[in-house]
Amino acid sequence: MRSLAGDILFIDLTERRVWREAVKKDDILNYLGGRGINSRYLWHLADAGIDPLGPDNPLIFGTGLLTGTAAPSSGRTTVTCKSPATNWYLKTSGGGHFGGEMKAAGYGHIIVLGIASEPVYIWIDDDKVEIRDAKAFWGMDVRQVDGAIKAQLGDDEVQLATIGPAGENKVLFASVMFSVYNAAGRGGAGAVMGSKNLKAIAVRGSGAVAAAKPVLYHELAMEAHQSVLADSGAEGMHLYGTAGSLNGVNEVRALASYNFQRSHLDDVHTITGQYLSEAGYLKRAVACYGCVVGCHRYSKIDQGPLAGTFTGGPEYENFVALGSGCGTLDTEAIIKANELCNILGMDTISAGSVIQWGMESYEKGVINRNDLDGEELLWGDGQAIIDMLSKIAYREGFGDVLAGGVKRAAEKVGGDSYKWAVHAKGLEQSRVDTRSAKAYALAFAVNPRGADHLHTETFAEFGMSPEARELIERITGDEKYVTPYSSEKRAEIVRWHEDTYAVTDALGFCAFMTTAMYGITPKMMADLFSAAAGHDFSEEEIMLAGRRILTLEKSFNVREGALREHDTLPWRLMNEVNPDRPEPDAINSQEELDKMLDEYYQLHDWNRETSRPTRKTLELLNLSYVADELEEAGKLDPAG
Amino acid sequence: MSQRYILVNPEVCIGCKQCELVCSYEHEGVYSSALSRIRLVRFEAECLNVPVTCAYCEEPACEKVCPTGAMTVDPATGAARVIEAKCIGCKECIAACPIGAVDMNSRTGVAMRCDLCKGSPACVDICPTGALTFGFVNQTSRDKRRSRVLTLLFDEPEGRRA
Repeated sequence: MRSLAGDILFIDLTERRVWREAVKKDDILNYLGGRGINSRYLWHLADAGIDPLGPDNPLIFGTGLLTGTAAPSSGRTTVTCKSPATNWYLKTSGGGHFGGEMKAAGYGHIIVLGIASEPVYIWIDDDKVEIRDAKAFWGMDVRQVDGAIKAQLGDDEVQLATIGPAGENKVLFASVMFSVYNAAGRGGAGAVMGSKNLKAIAVRGSGAVAAAKPVLYHELAMEAHQSVLADSGAEGMHLYGTAGSLNGVNEVRALASYNFQRSHLDDVHTITGQYLSEAGYLKRAVACYGCVVGCHRYSKIDQGPLAGTFTGGPEYENFVALGSGCGTLDTEAIIKANELCNILGMDTISAGSVIQWGMESYEKGVINRNDLDGEELLWGDGQAIIDMLSKIAYREGFGDVLAGGVKRAAEKVGGDSYKWAVHAKGLEQSRVDTRSAKAYALAFAVNPRGADHLHTETFAEFGMSPEARELIERITGDEKYVTPYSSEKRAEIVRWHEDTYAVTDALGFCAFMTTAMYGITPKMMADLFSAAAGHDFSEEEIMLAGRRILTLEKSFNVREGALREHDTLPWRLMNEVNPDRPEPDAINSQEELDKMLDEYYQLHDWNRETSRPTRKTLELLNLSYVADELEEAGKLDPAG
Repeated sequence: MSQRYILVNPEVCIGCKQCELVCSYEHEGVYSSALSRIRLVRFEAECLNVPVTCAYCEEPACEKVCPTGAMTVDPATGAARVIEAKCIGCKECIAACPIGAVDMNSRTGVAMRCDLCKGSPACVDICPTGALTFGFVNQTSRDKRRSRVLTLLFDEPEGRRA
């Protein structure tokens, strides 16, 4: 039988050497698994200042501690490295079935080091690990390479993590793709994989895992099933996916449209999950490993000029980034664009973001037809979006400029284009208008990986379900704080979600079950962990582990030179009032952000001037080795 | 047809694999797809998921070819039973099963086949979408008839029960 935590598989592509180590018990107690143990290894393996696309950037895959068990929705995989998009810390997580297979093969983590001299893939067949030639697969899209490697191995049921052409060409928002359509999309982990000449990791696992207290664990897992399915949002998520909430986000004036120039449109029905289903594009609801909700979509276009298009998705972010954000509500164009992002291996949020930035730059005359290889780039032109996605993945013409993300693209074309380059820390913002969502605003500003919701999903502030309203009341002590427009108590809301999210990722759970729906609570995670690891953890203790993970990630950025000034938001959102909600608070002003940051740093007991964690805080979290190293580098402040 | 079976409706299967996980737990005390008596067949590019398990054939090929009489059905309950002491691991049953529902147990070296969990299959209990049901064959055909006629007459979504 395999150990529940799995071993750590090291693969040095430069030396062509493979070895494995057991996960230390101490690391399980401090960092739990998945994202937590990944970040522990990133801290040790990645020195400050390394080139994210060079040989010294480790690419770390981690399954959750509970991945491979019957705990519901616990099959996610976290990919960790230094981001080539932001040059800061990156964790990006994906669903699909890769994590479950990896665990059955005996591994909790796979750490890829160095760079192969020519294209390779890694074949993990339980205990047997090979570095194989992948020259024949280089250039293939994600769907092609998935089929081709399965054919070469003679097994259609192996699980793959792959990159597409975007990763090969080091597009800075290239994704790592699991099970064809499940992306670890944000921050460019696919470009790091491409820089290593690593086309894929294929894994087959035939082993078994069990909890330390198997009977208790199984009972708790079965209770968790009931709890997940009892959440008021579960049925809607199954029927309509994440885009089922799109109308609601539009109503509260937070739907990022026309590159954040609009936050509400009259009628967005054709980009909702409800429409995807009723118009017949949705063919199947799909689950990730172990998930009993199944919010993932499988869509197909049967008729018309785009007939034959089929893909996983679209989800909320895809509809908004590739649709309303680019000024189109054309369902079919968005499905096609989603398919291209998936098979070319690119993050849909960033890909949509660079295109809408380009549309606005063209409209405002910062770029012209000459820059665009003689073409136009007009709002709402679905074909232009589709064409540009391929140009980005292959770095052709203006696509090469966009492949660097909006921050670099704005630096390149100049003028006022930085004002509508909607990013923070160099990561294109998720499609929530933070001028109408203040906990998101704070969360996006402090997120170690940039302006993004998948480190701290504060969906509860919208109050769209009874569970969400109850949660905000529990965190803040008063139901009056259930409003996305108030900046009060946002620090408390963000910190609860940070801790919970980190535990969620470390155990392998899907954040939708803990921080968008609430069927799996921190208490349940503590109990499951205790039964799994055979070591009793209270809710407080497991939340502290979450904070430890988050603080270590923050410290990674501090070691790289991060200061308070880096915890900021996109220029547009800080300087232009939300036009569809013309209230005085419909802006992320520096003053308001500063107030929330002060509260947030204070809550963490970090230095408010610099944002850096103090020695006291680090030592309370068993992170004295971090304090020592930061002190040596002159990056530890004398006192809180 | 008084016997109840595990009936599969792949139309609503989301491919969560919980059936495999609880099956292996129920029979082996561990979580392992490889030790499950029900297996999920997935076609990932098309996101197609179909669980496959013993169909309880009226004329079971696996029992017919078994040289030692290990592959049997308990006449009292109608549930399949592999008499482990008799199984010599010859794999004839695996070759003979036309739907791939028999597999080898890598821990014990004997054949394994769905035994309906003593009348309350764990996979059916856990199935979140009703893709697996435990019922009578005539019930399935009745439901199918009604659902299809309803769809034809009233243009109602397929699968809705009258």
